[in-house]
Amino acid sequence: MSGDPLFANGLNLAVWVILVVKVVAVFAIVLLSVLFMIMYERKVIARLGVRYGPNRAGPNGWLQSLADGTKLLFKEAFTPKGADKVVYKIAPYLMLLPALIAFAIVPLGGHITIAHHTTELQLADPQWGILFLLMTSGVAVYGVMMAGWSSGSKYPLLGSVRASAQMVSYEAVLGLTTATAVLVTGSLHTSAIVAAQHGGFLYHWNIIHTAVIPFILFSVAITAEMTRAPFDLVEAEEEISGGYNLEYSSVDFAWFYLAEYAALITNSAIIITLWLGGPDGPRIAGHSIGPVWFIIKMLVVLYIFVWIRATLPRLRYDQLMDLGWKRMIPAALAMLMIIAGFQATTTTSGSGIAHYLAERKWGFLAIVASVLLYALLTRAIEVGKQATGLDDPTDAHHKVGGQI
Amino acid sequence: MAGLVPGGTSIEGVEQYLPILLLLVLVALFSIGSAAASRVLGPKRRPTAAKAGAYESGIAPRYRAASRFSVRFYMVAMIFIIFDIEVIFLYPWAVMYHQLSTFGLAEMGTFAAVVFVAFAYLVSHGALDWGPGVKRGGRAPLSLSRSTTSTVRRVPRPAELAQGAQPRPVDSTVGGASERPGVRVSEPARTA
Repeated sequence: MSGDPLFANGLNLAVWVILVVKVVAVFAIVLLSVLFMIMYERKVIARLGVRYGPNRAGPNGWLQSLADGTKLLFKEAFTPKGADKVVYKIAPYLMLLPALIAFAIVPLGGHITIAHHTTELQLADPQWGILFLLMTSGVAVYGVMMAGWSSGSKYPLLGSVRASAQMVSYEAVLGLTTATAVLVTGSLHTSAIVAAQHGGFLYHWNIIHTAVIPFILFSVAITAEMTRAPFDLVEAEEEISGGYNLEYSSVDFAWFYLAEYAALITNSAIIITLWLGGPDGPRIAGHSIGPVWFIIKMLVVLYIFVWIRATLPRLRYDQLMDLGWKRMIPAALAMLMIIAGFQATTTTSGSGIAHYLAERKWGFLAIVASVLLYALLTRAIEVGKQATGLDDPTDAHHKVGGQI
Repeated sequence: MAGLVPGGTSIEGVEQYLPILLLLVLVALFSIGSAAASRVLGPKRRPTAAKAGAYESGIAPRYRAASRFSVRFYMVAMIFIIFDIEVIFLYPWAVMYHQLSTFGLAEMGTFAAVVFVAFAYLVSHGALDWGPGVKRGGRAPLSLSRSTTSTVRRVPRPAELAQGAQPRPVDSTVGGASERPGVRVSEPARTA
Protein backbone atom coordinates (compact mmCIF):
# COMPACT_ATOMS: atom_id res chain seq x y z
CA MET A 1 0.00 0.00 0.00
CA SER A 2 2.58 2.50 -0.89
CA GLY A 3 1.88 3.98 -4.23
CA ASP A 4 3.20 3.31 -7.66
CA PRO A 5 6.41 1.19 -7.70
CA LEU A 6 7.54 3.12 -10.76
CA PHE A 7 9.33 5.61 -8.53
CA ALA A 8 11.12 3.00 -6.41
CA ASN A 9 14.50 3.71 -7.98
CA GLY A 10 14.20 7.43 -8.37
CA LEU A 11 13.56 9.41 -11.50
CA ASN A 12 15.56 8.66 -14.60
CA LEU A 13 14.95 9.16 -18.28
CA ALA A 14 13.10 5.85 -18.77
CA VAL A 15 10.78 6.69 -15.89
CA TRP A 16 10.06 10.08 -17.38
CA VAL A 17 9.26 8.56 -20.77
CA ILE A 18 6.91 6.01 -19.18
CA LEU A 19 5.28 8.81 -17.21
CA VAL A 20 4.67 10.96 -20.25
CA VAL A 21 3.29 8.00 -22.19
CA LYS A 22 0.94 7.17 -19.33
CA VAL A 23 -0.22 10.77 -18.98
CA VAL A 24 -0.95 11.09 -22.70
CA ALA A 25 -2.65 7.68 -22.71
CA VAL A 26 -4.97 8.57 -19.84
CA PHE A 27 -5.78 11.92 -21.42
CA ALA A 28 -6.57 10.21 -24.72
CA ILE A 29 -8.67 7.56 -22.96
CA VAL A 30 -10.77 10.22 -21.27
CA LEU A 31 -11.28 12.28 -24.43
CA LEU A 32 -12.08 9.25 -26.58
CA SER A 33 -14.44 7.88 -23.97
CA VAL A 34 -16.24 11.22 -23.92
CA LEU A 35 -16.64 11.15 -27.71
CA PHE A 36 -17.81 7.55 -27.43
CA MET A 37 -20.11 8.22 -24.48
CA ILE A 38 -21.96 11.09 -26.15
CA MET A 39 -22.74 8.83 -29.09
CA TYR A 40 -23.46 5.82 -26.86
CA GLU A 41 -25.95 7.89 -24.90
CA ARG A 42 -27.61 9.35 -27.98
CA LYS A 43 -27.84 5.96 -29.68
CA VAL A 44 -29.17 4.15 -26.61
CA ILE A 45 -31.62 6.88 -25.71
CA ALA A 46 -32.82 6.94 -29.31
CA ARG A 47 -33.38 3.20 -29.29
CA LEU A 48 -35.19 3.44 -25.96
CA GLY A 49 -37.40 6.06 -27.56
CA VAL A 50 -37.89 3.88 -30.69
CA ARG A 51 -35.90 6.23 -32.94
CA TYR A 52 -32.69 5.83 -34.93
CA GLY A 53 -30.60 8.55 -33.35
CA PRO A 54 -27.78 10.26 -35.23
CA ASN A 55 -26.71 8.04 -38.16
CA ARG A 56 -25.20 10.34 -40.77
CA ALA A 57 -21.68 11.47 -39.77
CA GLY A 58 -19.22 8.61 -40.19
CA PRO A 59 -20.05 4.91 -39.99
CA ASN A 60 -23.51 4.65 -38.43
CA GLY A 61 -23.12 8.19 -37.15
CA TRP A 62 -20.32 7.38 -34.72
CA LEU A 63 -18.36 10.50 -35.69
CA GLN A 64 -21.23 12.83 -34.89
CA SER A 65 -19.82 14.07 -31.57
CA LEU A 66 -16.41 14.66 -33.16
CA ALA A 67 -18.09 16.68 -35.91
CA ASP A 68 -20.06 18.67 -33.33
CA GLY A 69 -16.91 19.42 -31.36
CA THR A 70 -15.04 20.54 -34.45
CA LYS A 71 -17.95 22.70 -35.51
CA LEU A 72 -17.92 24.51 -32.18
CA LEU A 73 -14.33 25.59 -32.81
CA PHE A 74 -15.57 27.61 -35.77
CA LYS A 75 -18.28 29.39 -33.81
CA GLU A 76 -18.15 32.87 -32.44
CA ALA A 77 -16.86 33.11 -28.85
CA PHE A 78 -19.35 35.56 -27.46
CA THR A 79 -19.48 37.43 -24.16
CA PRO A 80 -22.76 39.10 -23.19
CA LYS A 81 -22.72 42.74 -22.19
CA GLY A 82 -23.80 42.16 -18.61
CA ALA A 83 -21.14 39.51 -17.97
CA ASP A 84 -18.23 39.75 -15.59
CA LYS A 85 -15.67 39.16 -18.32
CA VAL A 86 -12.79 37.57 -16.38
CA VAL A 87 -14.91 35.17 -14.32
CA TYR A 88 -17.03 34.38 -17.36
CA LYS A 89 -13.97 33.27 -19.30
CA ILE A 90 -12.37 31.34 -16.44
CA ALA A 91 -15.48 29.33 -15.42
CA PRO A 92 -15.45 26.75 -18.26
CA TYR A 93 -11.80 25.93 -17.61
CA LEU A 94 -12.52 25.53 -13.91
CA MET A 95 -15.09 22.92 -14.91
CA LEU A 96 -12.83 21.23 -17.44
CA LEU A 97 -9.66 20.85 -15.36
CA PRO A 98 -11.08 18.80 -12.45
CA ALA A 99 -13.25 16.72 -14.78
CA LEU A 100 -10.29 15.67 -16.91
CA ILE A 101 -7.75 15.01 -14.16
CA ALA A 102 -10.04 12.98 -11.88
CA PHE A 103 -9.55 9.84 -13.99
CA ALA A 104 -5.90 9.75 -12.88
CA ILE A 105 -6.70 7.78 -9.71
CA VAL A 106 -8.74 5.02 -11.37
CA PRO A 107 -6.97 1.64 -11.28
CA LEU A 108 -7.41 -0.21 -14.56
CA GLY A 109 -6.05 -3.52 -13.37
CA GLY A 110 -2.73 -5.01 -12.34
CA HIS A 111 0.84 -4.08 -13.11
CA ILE A 112 2.84 -3.81 -16.28
CA THR A 113 6.60 -4.05 -16.74
CA ILE A 114 8.31 -1.96 -19.39
CA ALA A 115 12.11 -2.02 -19.69
CA HIS A 116 12.65 -3.34 -16.14
CA HIS A 117 10.34 -0.70 -14.72
CA THR A 118 7.18 -2.00 -13.11
CA THR A 119 4.25 0.35 -12.98
CA GLU A 120 0.59 0.16 -12.10
CA LEU A 121 -2.06 0.40 -14.78
CA GLN A 122 -3.20 3.57 -13.12
CA LEU A 123 -1.85 7.04 -13.71
CA ALA A 124 -1.28 8.09 -10.11
CA ASP A 125 -1.63 6.31 -6.80
CA PRO A 126 -1.08 9.05 -4.24
CA GLN A 127 -1.76 8.84 -0.52
CA TRP A 128 -5.05 10.69 -0.58
CA GLY A 129 -6.38 8.38 -3.23
CA ILE A 130 -10.13 8.52 -3.20
CA LEU A 131 -10.17 11.97 -1.57
CA PHE A 132 -8.99 13.23 -4.95
CA LEU A 133 -12.41 12.42 -6.40
CA LEU A 134 -14.18 14.41 -3.68
CA MET A 135 -11.74 17.25 -4.26
CA THR A 136 -12.40 17.43 -7.98
CA SER A 137 -16.16 17.22 -7.56
CA GLY A 138 -15.90 19.98 -4.94
CA VAL A 139 -13.98 22.24 -7.32
CA ALA A 140 -16.55 21.61 -10.07
CA VAL A 141 -19.15 23.43 -7.92
CA TYR A 142 -17.07 26.59 -8.28
CA GLY A 143 -17.13 26.29 -12.05
CA VAL A 144 -20.92 26.02 -12.09
CA MET A 145 -21.37 28.83 -9.59
CA MET A 146 -18.98 31.19 -11.37
CA ALA A 147 -20.47 30.45 -14.79
CA GLY A 148 -24.00 31.19 -13.60
CA TRP A 149 -23.13 34.25 -11.58
CA SER A 150 -20.88 35.89 -14.14
CA SER A 151 -23.28 35.55 -17.07
CA GLY A 152 -25.28 38.55 -15.87
CA SER A 153 -28.50 36.82 -16.77
CA LYS A 154 -31.40 35.44 -14.76
CA TYR A 155 -31.67 31.84 -15.94
CA PRO A 156 -27.98 31.02 -15.51
CA LEU A 157 -28.00 32.53 -12.03
CA LEU A 158 -30.99 30.44 -11.01
CA GLY A 159 -29.40 27.37 -12.56
CA SER A 160 -26.16 27.89 -10.71
CA VAL A 161 -27.65 28.48 -7.26
CA ARG A 162 -29.76 25.37 -7.77
CA ALA A 163 -26.70 23.48 -8.88
CA SER A 164 -24.47 24.53 -6.03
CA ALA A 165 -27.13 23.80 -3.39
CA GLN A 166 -27.79 20.43 -4.98
CA MET A 167 -24.12 19.54 -5.34
CA VAL A 168 -23.17 20.41 -1.77
CA SER A 169 -26.22 18.55 -0.44
CA TYR A 170 -25.33 15.35 -2.20
CA GLU A 171 -21.63 15.76 -1.53
CA ALA A 172 -22.35 14.96 2.12
CA VAL A 173 -23.95 11.64 1.07
CA LEU A 174 -21.04 10.99 -1.24
CA GLY A 175 -18.57 11.62 1.57
CA LEU A 176 -20.38 9.39 4.06
CA THR A 177 -20.75 6.45 1.66
CA THR A 178 -17.16 6.76 0.45
CA ALA A 179 -16.10 6.63 4.10
CA THR A 180 -18.04 3.35 4.36
CA ALA A 181 -15.99 1.86 1.54
CA VAL A 182 -12.80 3.20 3.13
CA LEU A 183 -13.87 1.71 6.44
CA VAL A 184 -14.16 -1.86 5.16
CA THR A 185 -10.93 -1.51 3.18
CA GLY A 186 -8.85 0.46 5.65
CA SER A 187 -7.07 2.50 3.00
CA LEU A 188 -7.56 5.60 0.91
CA HIS A 189 -5.44 4.22 -1.94
CA THR A 190 -7.67 3.29 -4.85
CA SER A 191 -5.27 0.46 -5.67
CA ALA A 192 -5.65 -0.92 -2.14
CA ILE A 193 -9.44 -0.59 -2.30
CA VAL A 194 -9.41 -2.65 -5.49
CA ALA A 195 -6.91 -5.15 -4.10
CA ALA A 196 -9.09 -5.73 -1.04
CA GLN A 197 -11.97 -6.74 -3.31
CA HIS A 198 -9.86 -9.14 -5.32
CA GLY A 199 -10.67 -12.83 -5.67
CA GLY A 200 -14.11 -14.32 -5.87
CA PHE A 201 -16.37 -12.73 -8.41
CA LEU A 202 -18.94 -10.51 -6.69
CA TYR A 203 -18.57 -12.18 -3.30
CA HIS A 204 -15.62 -10.08 -2.15
CA TRP A 205 -16.75 -6.85 -3.71
CA ASN A 206 -17.60 -3.93 -1.48
CA ILE A 207 -21.18 -3.93 -2.72
CA ILE A 208 -21.68 -7.20 -0.85
CA HIS A 209 -19.37 -6.32 2.05
CA THR A 210 -21.41 -3.22 2.81
CA ALA A 211 -24.85 -4.78 2.30
CA VAL A 212 -25.70 -3.00 -0.99
CA ILE A 213 -27.35 0.07 0.59
CA PRO A 214 -24.25 2.35 0.63
CA PHE A 215 -23.67 1.42 -3.02
CA ILE A 216 -27.18 2.53 -3.95
CA LEU A 217 -26.85 5.73 -1.93
CA PHE A 218 -23.49 6.44 -3.54
CA SER A 219 -24.80 5.87 -7.06
CA VAL A 220 -27.83 8.11 -6.50
CA ALA A 221 -25.67 10.78 -4.88
CA ILE A 222 -23.15 10.75 -7.69
CA THR A 223 -25.96 11.05 -10.25
CA ALA A 224 -27.16 14.14 -8.40
CA GLU A 225 -23.60 15.40 -8.09
CA MET A 226 -23.23 15.26 -11.87
CA THR A 227 -26.66 16.91 -12.18
CA ARG A 228 -27.78 14.16 -14.51
CA ALA A 229 -31.34 13.04 -15.01
CA PRO A 230 -33.49 12.65 -12.93
CA PHE A 231 -31.64 15.30 -10.91
CA ASP A 232 -31.04 17.73 -13.79
CA LEU A 233 -33.00 20.65 -12.38
CA VAL A 234 -29.90 22.68 -13.02
CA GLU A 235 -30.56 22.68 -16.73
CA ALA A 236 -34.33 22.18 -16.67
CA GLU A 237 -35.05 23.42 -20.15
CA GLU A 238 -38.74 24.06 -19.54
CA GLU A 239 -38.07 26.33 -16.57
CA ILE A 240 -34.70 27.98 -16.97
CA SER A 241 -33.94 27.01 -20.57
CA GLY A 242 -30.57 25.39 -20.06
CA GLY A 243 -29.27 26.73 -16.78
CA TYR A 244 -25.79 27.90 -15.92
CA ASN A 245 -24.23 27.48 -19.39
CA LEU A 246 -27.04 29.27 -21.22
CA GLU A 247 -25.00 32.29 -22.36
CA TYR A 248 -21.96 30.31 -23.47
CA SER A 249 -21.02 29.55 -27.04
CA SER A 250 -18.09 28.19 -29.05
CA VAL A 251 -15.37 26.23 -27.19
CA ASP A 252 -16.52 27.61 -23.85
CA PHE A 253 -19.76 25.73 -24.31
CA ALA A 254 -17.87 22.68 -25.56
CA TRP A 255 -15.92 22.65 -22.27
CA PHE A 256 -19.08 22.43 -20.22
CA TYR A 257 -20.30 19.58 -22.37
CA LEU A 258 -16.94 17.85 -22.27
CA ALA A 259 -16.65 18.32 -18.50
CA GLU A 260 -20.12 16.87 -17.99
CA TYR A 261 -19.35 13.70 -19.92
CA ALA A 262 -15.81 13.37 -18.59
CA ALA A 263 -17.30 13.51 -15.11
CA LEU A 264 -19.77 10.81 -16.11
CA ILE A 265 -16.96 8.56 -17.36
CA THR A 266 -14.82 9.16 -14.27
CA ASN A 267 -17.66 8.72 -11.82
CA SER A 268 -18.74 5.45 -13.42
CA ALA A 269 -15.14 4.30 -13.10
CA ILE A 270 -15.17 5.35 -9.44
CA ILE A 271 -18.40 3.42 -8.80
CA ILE A 272 -16.72 0.36 -10.23
CA THR A 273 -13.54 0.96 -8.23
CA LEU A 274 -15.26 1.51 -4.91
CA TRP A 275 -18.09 -0.99 -5.05
CA LEU A 276 -17.89 -3.32 -8.03
CA GLY A 277 -14.42 -4.73 -7.56
CA GLY A 278 -12.64 -2.51 -10.07
CA PRO A 279 -10.95 -4.68 -12.71
CA ASP A 280 -11.63 -7.85 -10.71
CA GLY A 281 -13.22 -10.73 -12.59
CA PRO A 282 -12.75 -14.38 -13.51
CA ARG A 283 -9.55 -15.25 -15.35
CA ILE A 284 -9.91 -16.41 -18.92
CA ALA A 285 -7.62 -19.37 -19.79
CA GLY A 286 -5.36 -18.57 -16.87
CA HIS A 287 -4.84 -14.97 -17.94
CA SER A 288 -5.85 -12.05 -15.80
CA ILE A 289 -7.84 -9.75 -18.02
CA GLY A 290 -8.50 -6.87 -15.64
CA PRO A 291 -8.85 -4.08 -18.22
CA VAL A 292 -11.38 -6.12 -20.23
CA TRP A 293 -13.53 -6.67 -17.17
CA PHE A 294 -13.19 -3.01 -16.38
CA ILE A 295 -14.46 -1.98 -19.81
CA ILE A 296 -17.37 -4.44 -19.61
CA LYS A 297 -18.37 -3.06 -16.22
CA MET A 298 -18.04 0.49 -17.55
CA LEU A 299 -20.39 -0.24 -20.44
CA VAL A 300 -22.96 -1.75 -18.08
CA VAL A 301 -22.79 1.14 -15.58
CA LEU A 302 -22.93 3.74 -18.34
CA TYR A 303 -25.87 1.96 -19.93
CA ILE A 304 -27.71 2.11 -16.60
CA PHE A 305 -27.08 5.86 -16.41
CA VAL A 306 -28.59 6.32 -19.87
CA TRP A 307 -31.44 3.98 -19.04
CA ILE A 308 -32.26 6.02 -15.92
CA ARG A 309 -32.23 9.21 -17.98
CA ALA A 310 -34.60 7.70 -20.53
CA THR A 311 -36.94 6.33 -17.88
CA LEU A 312 -37.31 8.67 -14.93
CA PRO A 313 -38.96 12.09 -14.99
CA ARG A 314 -37.24 15.04 -13.36
CA LEU A 315 -37.72 15.57 -9.64
CA ARG A 316 -39.25 18.70 -8.17
CA TYR A 317 -36.76 20.84 -6.26
CA ASP A 318 -38.32 20.27 -2.85
CA GLN A 319 -38.39 16.53 -3.51
CA LEU A 320 -34.74 16.64 -4.46
CA MET A 321 -33.77 18.44 -1.26
CA ASP A 322 -36.00 16.25 0.91
CA LEU A 323 -34.51 13.11 -0.60
CA GLY A 324 -30.97 14.33 -0.11
CA TRP A 325 -31.16 15.80 3.36
CA LYS A 326 -33.95 14.00 5.14
CA ARG A 327 -33.55 10.53 3.68
CA MET A 328 -30.16 9.87 2.14
CA ILE A 329 -27.86 11.66 4.59
CA PRO A 330 -29.38 9.99 7.68
CA ALA A 331 -29.44 6.64 5.85
CA ALA A 332 -25.78 6.98 4.84
CA LEU A 333 -24.80 7.92 8.38
CA ALA A 334 -26.76 5.01 9.85
CA MET A 335 -25.26 2.54 7.37
CA LEU A 336 -21.78 3.79 8.21
CA MET A 337 -22.31 3.23 11.94
CA ILE A 338 -23.98 -0.16 11.40
CA ILE A 339 -21.15 -1.39 9.21
CA ALA A 340 -18.63 0.01 11.66
CA GLY A 341 -20.45 -1.96 14.37
CA PHE A 342 -20.27 -5.22 12.44
CA GLN A 343 -16.62 -4.60 11.58
CA ALA A 344 -15.84 -4.47 15.32
CA THR A 345 -16.73 -8.16 15.58
CA THR A 346 -14.76 -10.06 18.19
CA THR A 347 -14.07 -13.67 17.31
CA THR A 348 -14.48 -15.96 20.26
CA SER A 349 -14.98 -19.67 20.54
CA GLY A 350 -18.50 -20.99 20.94
CA SER A 351 -21.57 -21.74 18.93
CA GLY A 352 -25.30 -21.18 18.91
CA ILE A 353 -27.47 -18.16 18.27
CA ALA A 354 -26.60 -16.44 21.56
CA HIS A 355 -22.94 -16.70 20.71
CA TYR A 356 -23.55 -15.41 17.17
CA LEU A 357 -25.38 -12.38 18.55
CA ALA A 358 -22.75 -11.76 21.24
CA GLU A 359 -19.99 -11.74 18.63
CA ARG A 360 -21.81 -9.10 16.63
CA LYS A 361 -23.32 -7.17 19.50
CA TRP A 362 -22.00 -3.80 18.31
CA GLY A 363 -23.55 -4.22 14.90
CA PHE A 364 -26.97 -5.08 16.29
CA LEU A 365 -26.62 -2.28 18.82
CA ALA A 366 -25.98 0.13 15.95
CA ILE A 367 -29.08 -1.16 14.13
CA VAL A 368 -31.23 -0.62 17.22
CA ALA A 369 -29.77 2.87 17.74
CA SER A 370 -30.40 3.70 14.08
CA VAL A 371 -34.03 2.64 14.30
CA LEU A 372 -34.54 4.77 17.43
CA LEU A 373 -32.87 7.78 15.82
CA TYR A 374 -34.97 7.23 12.69
CA ALA A 375 -38.07 7.58 14.86
CA LEU A 376 -36.63 10.82 16.23
CA LEU A 377 -36.00 12.07 12.71
CA THR A 378 -39.51 11.20 11.56
CA ARG A 379 -40.89 13.20 14.47
CA ALA A 380 -38.51 16.09 13.67
CA ILE A 381 -39.69 16.18 10.06
CA GLU A 382 -43.33 16.32 11.20
CA VAL A 383 -42.61 19.11 13.67
CA GLY A 384 -40.63 20.97 11.02
CA LYS A 385 -43.47 20.86 8.54
CA GLN A 386 -45.85 22.27 11.10
CA ALA A 387 -43.34 24.94 12.11
CA THR A 388 -42.93 26.34 8.60
CA GLY A 389 -46.45 25.68 7.41
CA LEU A 390 -44.90 24.89 4.05
CA ASP A 391 -46.42 21.48 3.89
CA ASP A 392 -49.57 21.34 5.95
CA PRO A 393 -50.34 17.66 6.74
CA THR A 394 -53.90 18.52 7.75
CA ASP A 395 -54.61 19.91 4.31
CA ALA A 396 -56.31 17.16 2.37
CA HIS A 397 -55.96 19.00 -0.94
CA HIS A 398 -52.20 18.78 -0.77
CA LYS A 399 -52.37 15.00 -0.93
CA VAL A 400 -54.09 15.07 -4.29
CA GLY A 401 -51.46 17.00 -6.15
CA GLY A 402 -48.76 19.29 -4.87
CA GLN A 403 -48.42 22.75 -6.26
CA ILE A 404 -45.98 25.50 -5.51
CA MET B 1 10.36 1.53 -0.39
CA ALA B 2 12.34 4.46 0.81
CA GLY B 3 11.30 6.31 3.92
CA LEU B 4 9.77 3.71 6.17
CA VAL B 5 8.76 5.04 9.55
CA PRO B 6 8.58 2.79 12.64
CA GLY B 7 4.79 2.55 12.38
CA GLY B 8 5.20 0.47 9.25
CA THR B 9 3.50 2.94 6.92
CA SER B 10 5.70 4.38 4.27
CA ILE B 11 6.10 8.06 3.72
CA GLU B 12 5.56 8.55 0.06
CA GLY B 13 7.65 10.98 -1.84
CA VAL B 14 6.19 13.85 -3.75
CA GLU B 15 6.90 11.95 -6.99
CA GLN B 16 3.62 10.06 -6.47
CA TYR B 17 1.88 13.33 -7.27
CA LEU B 18 3.97 13.95 -10.37
CA PRO B 19 1.64 12.21 -12.88
CA ILE B 20 -1.29 14.35 -11.75
CA LEU B 21 0.79 17.48 -12.17
CA LEU B 22 1.82 16.36 -15.67
CA LEU B 23 -1.80 15.61 -16.56
CA LEU B 24 -2.77 19.04 -15.29
CA VAL B 25 -0.14 20.60 -17.51
CA LEU B 26 -1.36 18.58 -20.50
CA VAL B 27 -4.98 19.60 -19.88
CA ALA B 28 -3.89 23.23 -19.54
CA LEU B 29 -1.99 23.03 -22.84
CA PHE B 30 -5.00 21.41 -24.50
CA SER B 31 -7.38 24.08 -23.31
CA ILE B 32 -5.04 26.94 -24.19
CA GLY B 33 -4.53 25.40 -27.63
CA SER B 34 -8.24 25.01 -28.26
CA ALA B 35 -8.99 28.51 -27.00
CA ALA B 36 -6.34 29.88 -29.37
CA ALA B 37 -7.72 27.80 -32.24
CA SER B 38 -11.21 29.07 -31.55
CA ARG B 39 -9.91 32.64 -31.52
CA VAL B 40 -8.24 32.14 -34.89
CA LEU B 41 -10.99 30.10 -36.55
CA GLY B 42 -14.12 31.65 -35.09
CA PRO B 43 -15.75 34.71 -36.62
CA LYS B 44 -15.46 38.06 -34.89
CA ARG B 45 -18.54 40.22 -35.13
CA ARG B 46 -19.82 43.31 -33.43
CA PRO B 47 -22.93 42.16 -31.59
CA THR B 48 -26.11 44.17 -31.77
CA ALA B 49 -27.65 45.41 -28.53
CA ALA B 50 -30.28 42.67 -28.62
CA LYS B 51 -27.62 40.00 -29.02
CA ALA B 52 -25.37 41.39 -26.30
CA GLY B 53 -28.21 41.48 -23.80
CA ALA B 54 -29.08 38.65 -21.44
CA TYR B 55 -31.08 35.82 -23.00
CA GLU B 56 -34.58 35.67 -21.62
CA SER B 57 -36.39 33.56 -24.20
CA GLY B 58 -36.90 36.42 -26.61
CA ILE B 59 -38.10 39.04 -24.17
CA ALA B 60 -35.81 42.04 -23.93
CA PRO B 61 -34.33 42.12 -20.40
CA ARG B 62 -35.48 45.20 -18.49
CA TYR B 63 -33.60 44.72 -15.24
CA ARG B 64 -30.24 43.43 -14.14
CA ALA B 65 -30.07 39.73 -13.32
CA ALA B 66 -31.68 39.04 -9.99
CA SER B 67 -29.17 39.74 -7.27
CA ARG B 68 -31.44 38.20 -4.67
CA PHE B 69 -32.49 34.58 -4.39
CA SER B 70 -34.12 32.42 -1.77
CA VAL B 71 -32.46 32.49 1.64
CA ARG B 72 -32.85 28.70 1.72
CA PHE B 73 -29.85 28.36 -0.58
CA TYR B 74 -27.70 30.09 2.04
CA MET B 75 -29.10 27.84 4.75
CA VAL B 76 -28.25 24.74 2.75
CA ALA B 77 -24.71 26.04 2.37
CA MET B 78 -24.38 26.56 6.12
CA ILE B 79 -25.92 23.23 7.10
CA PHE B 80 -23.66 21.54 4.59
CA ILE B 81 -20.67 22.70 6.64
CA ILE B 82 -21.83 20.56 9.59
CA PHE B 83 -21.74 17.43 7.49
CA ASP B 84 -18.62 18.37 5.62
CA ILE B 85 -16.77 18.74 8.92
CA GLU B 86 -18.10 15.38 10.03
CA VAL B 87 -17.00 13.74 6.80
CA ILE B 88 -13.54 15.24 7.16
CA PHE B 89 -13.21 13.64 10.60
CA LEU B 90 -14.53 10.35 9.22
CA TYR B 91 -11.71 9.66 6.78
CA PRO B 92 -8.76 9.34 9.18
CA TRP B 93 -11.06 7.42 11.51
CA ALA B 94 -12.18 5.06 8.74
CA VAL B 95 -8.59 4.34 7.69
CA MET B 96 -7.52 3.53 11.27
CA TYR B 97 -10.75 1.83 12.27
CA HIS B 98 -9.46 -1.73 12.44
CA GLN B 99 -6.81 -0.66 14.95
CA LEU B 100 -9.25 1.45 16.99
CA SER B 101 -12.04 -1.16 17.04
CA THR B 102 -14.67 -0.64 19.78
CA PHE B 103 -12.95 2.48 21.10
CA GLY B 104 -13.24 4.04 17.65
CA LEU B 105 -16.82 2.85 17.36
CA ALA B 106 -17.84 4.43 20.66
CA GLU B 107 -16.02 7.64 19.81
CA MET B 108 -17.51 8.03 16.36
CA GLY B 109 -20.91 6.86 17.62
CA THR B 110 -20.92 9.70 20.14
CA PHE B 111 -19.76 12.20 17.55
CA ALA B 112 -22.34 11.04 14.98
CA ALA B 113 -25.09 11.12 17.60
CA VAL B 114 -24.23 14.73 18.51
CA VAL B 115 -24.19 15.76 14.86
CA PHE B 116 -27.43 13.88 14.25
CA VAL B 117 -29.24 15.53 17.16
CA ALA B 118 -28.16 18.94 15.85
CA PHE B 119 -29.42 17.89 12.43
CA ALA B 120 -32.76 16.73 13.86
CA TYR B 121 -33.05 20.10 15.61
CA LEU B 122 -32.54 21.89 12.29
CA VAL B 123 -35.10 19.66 10.59
CA SER B 124 -37.60 20.22 13.39
CA HIS B 125 -37.34 23.97 12.78
CA GLY B 126 -38.09 23.47 9.12
CA ALA B 127 -34.64 24.65 8.05
CA LEU B 128 -34.61 22.15 5.19
CA ASP B 129 -38.21 22.49 4.01
CA TRP B 130 -38.58 23.71 0.48
CA GLY B 131 -42.28 23.40 -0.04
CA PRO B 132 -44.67 22.87 -1.63
CA GLY B 133 -46.43 25.99 -0.47
CA VAL B 134 -49.62 25.57 1.49
CA LYS B 135 -52.50 25.01 -0.82
CA ARG B 136 -55.64 26.42 0.69
CA GLY B 137 -58.06 25.44 -2.03
CA GLY B 138 -61.71 25.73 -1.02
CA ARG B 139 -60.98 27.73 2.11
CA ALA B 140 -61.92 31.32 2.78
CA PRO B 141 -59.09 33.83 2.44
CA LEU B 142 -57.59 35.15 5.64
CA SER B 143 -59.78 38.25 5.76
CA LEU B 144 -63.08 38.47 3.94
CA SER B 145 -62.81 42.25 3.74
CA ARG B 146 -59.71 41.94 1.53
CA SER B 147 -60.65 41.55 -2.10
CA THR B 148 -59.19 42.48 -5.45
CA THR B 149 -61.01 45.77 -5.55
CA SER B 150 -60.28 46.71 -1.94
CA THR B 151 -56.53 46.21 -2.27
CA VAL B 152 -56.00 47.81 -5.69
CA ARG B 153 -55.66 51.55 -5.31
CA ARG B 154 -56.65 54.13 -7.85
CA VAL B 155 -53.97 56.76 -8.40
CA PRO B 156 -55.36 60.24 -9.14
CA ARG B 157 -54.46 61.99 -12.36
CA PRO B 158 -51.77 64.68 -12.20
CA ALA B 159 -54.34 67.43 -12.25
CA GLU B 160 -56.17 65.81 -9.34
CA LEU B 161 -52.90 65.38 -7.44
CA ALA B 162 -52.33 69.10 -7.76
CA GLN B 163 -55.62 69.64 -5.95
CA GLY B 164 -54.53 67.36 -3.12
CA ALA B 165 -56.25 64.11 -4.13
CA GLN B 166 -54.86 60.94 -2.49
CA PRO B 167 -54.62 57.39 -3.91
CA ARG B 168 -57.54 55.38 -2.62
CA PRO B 169 -59.00 51.89 -3.00
CA VAL B 170 -61.08 51.28 -6.08
CA ASP B 171 -64.20 50.38 -4.14
CA SER B 172 -63.62 53.07 -1.55
CA THR B 173 -66.79 54.50 -0.08
CA VAL B 174 -65.02 57.54 1.37
CA GLY B 175 -66.84 60.63 0.19
CA GLY B 176 -69.91 58.64 -0.86
CA ALA B 177 -70.47 56.06 -3.57
CA SER B 178 -72.06 58.59 -5.89
CA GLU B 179 -68.90 60.65 -6.06
CA ARG B 180 -67.05 60.14 -9.37
CA PRO B 181 -63.75 61.90 -8.72
CA GLY B 182 -62.37 61.35 -12.20
CA VAL B 183 -65.25 63.22 -13.82
CA ARG B 184 -65.87 66.11 -11.49
CA VAL B 185 -62.36 67.18 -10.60
CA SER B 186 -60.89 66.99 -14.06
CA GLU B 187 -63.30 69.41 -15.71
CA PRO B 188 -61.96 72.59 -14.14
CA ALA B 189 -58.45 71.39 -14.79
CA ARG B 190 -59.13 71.15 -18.53
CA THR B 191 -60.60 74.60 -18.78
CA ALA B 192 -57.75 76.14 -16.81
